[in-house]
Amino acid sequence: MSSSDIFDVLNIKPKSDSLKDDTTTGKHTSSLAVSDKNTPVPGTSSIPTMKSMAPKPQVTGIQRELYNLLGENQPPIMVQPVNRFKQKMTGKPSPWTYSEFWSTDDEDTTKRVKLRHWVKGSKELIGETPQVSSFSKFNQHLTLPQFTEEEYNSFMKAAKERKETHKEELLTTLKIKDKPSVEKNSNEMILKVNAEKGTPEDKQNSIEPLNKSETVENDVDSKDNEDKGTGKDNIQENEGEIENNEAADGKETAEDESDWTFAEVDYLFQLCRKYDLRWFIIYDRYQFDSPNHRILEDLKSKFYEMCQNYFAARNSNDPLLQSLNYNKEKEVERKQYLQRLLSRSAAEIAEEEALIIESKKFEMAAKKTLNERESLLRLLDSPNSDQNVSQYMTSQGISQLYNNLLADKSRKRKNDSSIPENPWMKQQQQFAQQKQQLQQLHEKRHSESSQPDHNHINGNRSNSIQSTPALNKTMSSNESDIKLTSSPRKTKRQKQELQNAIKRKGEAQYAEQLLQNFTAEERKSLGVIAHGEKLSPGVYMRSTKISTFKPALQNKIVVILQELGLPMRPSMPSHDVIEVQEDLLKHVVTLLDLKKQLDRIDAEKAIKK
Amino acid sequence: MAPPVSKRIKTLSVSRPIIYGNTAKKMGDHKPANAPVEHTHLWTIFVRDPRGEDISYYIKKVVFKLHETYPNHTRVVEAPPFELTETGWGEFDVNIKIYFIDEANEKQLNFYHRLRLHPYDNQANSDSTEINEAGETIIKSVFFDEVVFNEPHENFFQILMSKPGNLLPSNKTPKNIFSKQLEEEEIYRIKKGIDEIDKQIADLQEKIDEKDETV
Repeated sequence: MSSSDIFDVLNIKPKSDSLKDDTTTGKHTSSLAVSDKNTPVPGTSSIPTMKSMAPKPQVTGIQRELYNLLGENQPPIMVQPVNRFKQKMTGKPSPWTYSEFWSTDDEDTTKRVKLRHWVKGSKELIGETPQVSSFSKFNQHLTLPQFTEEEYNSFMKAAKERKETHKEELLTTLKIKDKPSVEKNSNEMILKVNAEKGTPEDKQNSIEPLNKSETVENDVDSKDNEDKGTGKDNIQENEGEIENNEAADGKETAEDESDWTFAEVDYLFQLCRKYDLRWFIIYDRYQFDSPNHRILEDLKSKFYEMCQNYFAARNSNDPLLQSLNYNKEKEVERKQYLQRLLSRSAAEIAEEEALIIESKKFEMAAKKTLNERESLLRLLDSPNSDQNVSQYMTSQGISQLYNNLLADKSRKRKNDSSIPENPWMKQQQQFAQQKQQLQQLHEKRHSESSQPDHNHINGNRSNSIQSTPALNKTMSSNESDIKLTSSPRKTKRQKQELQNAIKRKGEAQYAEQLLQNFTAEERKSLGVIAHGEKLSPGVYMRSTKISTFKPALQNKIVVILQELGLPMRPSMPSHDVIEVQEDLLKHVVTLLDLKKQLDRIDAEKAIKK
Repeated sequence: MAPPVSKRIKTLSVSRPIIYGNTAKKMGDHKPANAPVEHTHLWTIFVRDPRGEDISYYIKKVVFKLHETYPNHTRVVEAPPFELTETGWGEFDVNIKIYFIDEANEKQLNFYHRLRLHPYDNQANSDSTEINEAGETIIKSVFFDEVVFNEPHENFFQILMSKPGNLLPSNKTPKNIFSKQLEEEEIYRIKKGIDEIDKQIADLQEKIDEKDETV
């Protein structure tokens, strides 16, 4: 609510009045009025009319009072400049030049090629003379052995001789250990690595085909590795090995003599040098006038063989020899296998997967049955249950185990407590026992009058002497315990109870024996009682053994006792008094129970109504 | 001192009656010399046999723990009579510990007795007042109880059997009400109570049966 409303209600025209006052009072108030934008001309009577004229057309949807509050004080709408355009690129574009360069740094112009490429930088910066490519340093070549025909012949002869001797050696040493000698003699070759400019790429190039055998050592431990590397020796059986070796050697020699001429070998090595042992290219370019078609593996194996021979001829202990083994058969096999694998049809792949799943299922099932069998065997309480079950996995083993168990069972007692009992059987046994007990009790009553049971003479006598109800009770409970012995079947618990009962009976007898010289009167005066019960040993006050109950119940009991004019604690808590008191308490509790029951019935009735 | 090893006689218990409590009387002008000024009563707390027999053959000592404001508030009485006389002005719980002889090889008995100095209207029958020869009012708060040795050790059993310690005076006397007579009265009273309860039980049972039928 603005002040103008109040003025409206009060029917006053405040502004004009005050302004009039202002004009009359002084100049400095006029400056105040000037600050008011509504009154550009102070001191005129036109102001109220202006004000009344000013109000904007009727507005709906906003409370009048609220609307009136809107004045010139509305905050201005913030207009933030938004840049809708991309920022202009700063800086000028860097120049690129399409310039010439040499493929290698080789001075021989025939070997290098002039090429062009885009380089960052202005023409002036780069200059006119073609640069050597910065990648040319990666263009490394292998240094492969070079030999003349004479050399070739000489080391081939040496190799052949070695082979002959090796064959004999092999035959003699085969039974002991064949690997080392085989390696030394069979395929000897070597590859010289260009060591001076040993950039990683270069090394990789040269060693790549030999990676497999790099780790090969002389040790017998690495026999497996060697087996992989040297395929000819990859045979399990000795006889097979011999045959294979002979066959391979025969083949090789045949090849050497018939197929490979020096010219062809030389040609091969030229190609190898030219293409840096890139075998697929070598194979692609290989065009030698030869009757035999050479596959890639032929070329490879020949190359390694030649290398081996070459290095062996120069130095038979060259460490490189180890790494120059090449197993042609295995390689061919591998490629064939890959070929087969990759050329499978979709149907074949699906079938294979299905088969794999099936086999996995079988494995799982086998494992499961194994586990089950194991647990079963353990359950059977076999004497060897903690041993491995594998010996029982066969049908013969099982039958043997069965026999063992049978024999064991007949030896052992019938009821093993470790085997969980059938709860129904237990229940049934209990019922049977109860029935038997009842029957015996019945019989006993009959026989008691005529012929006292010898077993109970002791108890009877003590009863007559003591004539205390508690003793009677305990003795009877003892008797019932004893009766349990006659029942043919006993559970473990019952057995234990029985044992306890016997023990207690023995103790009671001992106590009786101690007291046998005293008459009942004497016992009373001595304050000694053979209660025959299992109570915790120690000393206590009689009055502290008066039964107590839950607080709520206890209070009710106290109230009832008060009604009877009896205290909770008898003034003379002697043995006899306490006994009677306990009896009283029992009765009171029964009474309270009945009361509760009555209340409940009443409540139920009330609900029904 | 470690008692000789002996075993407990199972399923057997021996009990001994005791009386404990206190007597008190107002002190007149002749106060004991060392008594503080504010003390108004002279009281005696005791543990003894109902017949006044010697009980030191199985009790070694009795410890009375008085209110902490007493000097040396733990008082040990190592020889019969097991009693303690003090002066005081207020009632408080006295902690009584009965230690048994070493042969017993038993723990001490521990219980409390509320010291009574003033007569109460709603007396339990253990509290009473009497007027002695000198015409002074004597306040008594005495309780009867039985110390039960359950499954005593053999040695101790022999000692206990050497004396017929469970005897009670046959009749009530003004000095000692705890007797066979009181015991019988007590039993009679309780039995009457049982009869009364039984009657109520029968009534209730009848009512319940009735209601059951109607329901």
